[in-house]
Amino acid sequence: MTDIDPRLDLTLDRVIRAPRDVVWQAWTDPAQLAQWWVPAPTVARVEKLDVRPGGAFVTSMSDDGAAFVPHTDSVFLVVDDGARLVFSNAIDSSWHPASPEPVAMTAEIVFDEHPDGTEYRVVVRHADPAARDRHEQLGFYDGWGAVTGALAALAESRAG
Amino acid sequence: MAKYEALDEVFVALADSTRRAVIRRLGEGPASVSELARPFAITLPSFLKHVRVLESSGLVRTAKSGRVRMCTLDRERLALVDGWLAEQRHVWEGRTDRLAAFVTELKEPS
Repeated sequence: MTDIDPRLDLTLDRVIRAPRDVVWQAWTDPAQLAQWWVPAPTVARVEKLDVRPGGAFVTSMSDDGAAFVPHTDSVFLVVDDGARLVFSNAIDSSWHPASPEPVAMTAEIVFDEHPDGTEYRVVVRHADPAARDRHEQLGFYDGWGAVTGALAALAESRAG
Repeated sequence: MAKYEALDEVFVALADSTRRAVIRRLGEGPASVSELARPFAITLPSFLKHVRVLESSGLVRTAKSGRVRMCTLDRERLALVDGWLAEQRHVWEGRTDRLAAFVTELKEPS
């Protein structure tokens, strides 16, 4: 996926002077992730880090180290071992469609080999706030009705 | 976080085609409520609801001059959307800085 909307998406490229598996470990080991996920003095706690497609990625954070509030609640979409992580908060960790404020995002983290270590790339795609409106205008039920109708027609033509 | 709350309202205000059309029109310059309402096939009370949403999001300021209510676009408020993206970038850059520092320290324990 290379589609990027410059109005709503952000990309970031960085060469990290450490081997790729070390950077991957820092992302996928809960204890390590908690070390850098939020800026100090805020403390992060990794509640769930199930690194596989459909797996939960849940963190909470605390300003005083005692009271924790929810932070990340998302799900992994793609996990290419050692090479790529994709997760989104448009679906929460229990697979319920979510409406995170102000808009949903999908983050793609790519780990590539580089002579100096790891070529690290982040792409964060944000939902278009106007898209909700378009969805309403199209009519949620009409949309599904049309899909179901097409599916039924296809199934019937095959059966016939 | 107060800034984010304001942003929620801005996104809500923008998530409607009538209100986006009003914003576009106001981009050309201030206009009265009745002038703004003219292109829409809705009653004035329903149109006023849209104006109120725009007003409470801070995107539009209104002021009465005589019997006419004039609306003006607050461009700074509209720029909040861009500012938010810049802030997201800042979050991810900070995160990458910390990750880079973390793994580099792991590699060369000092």
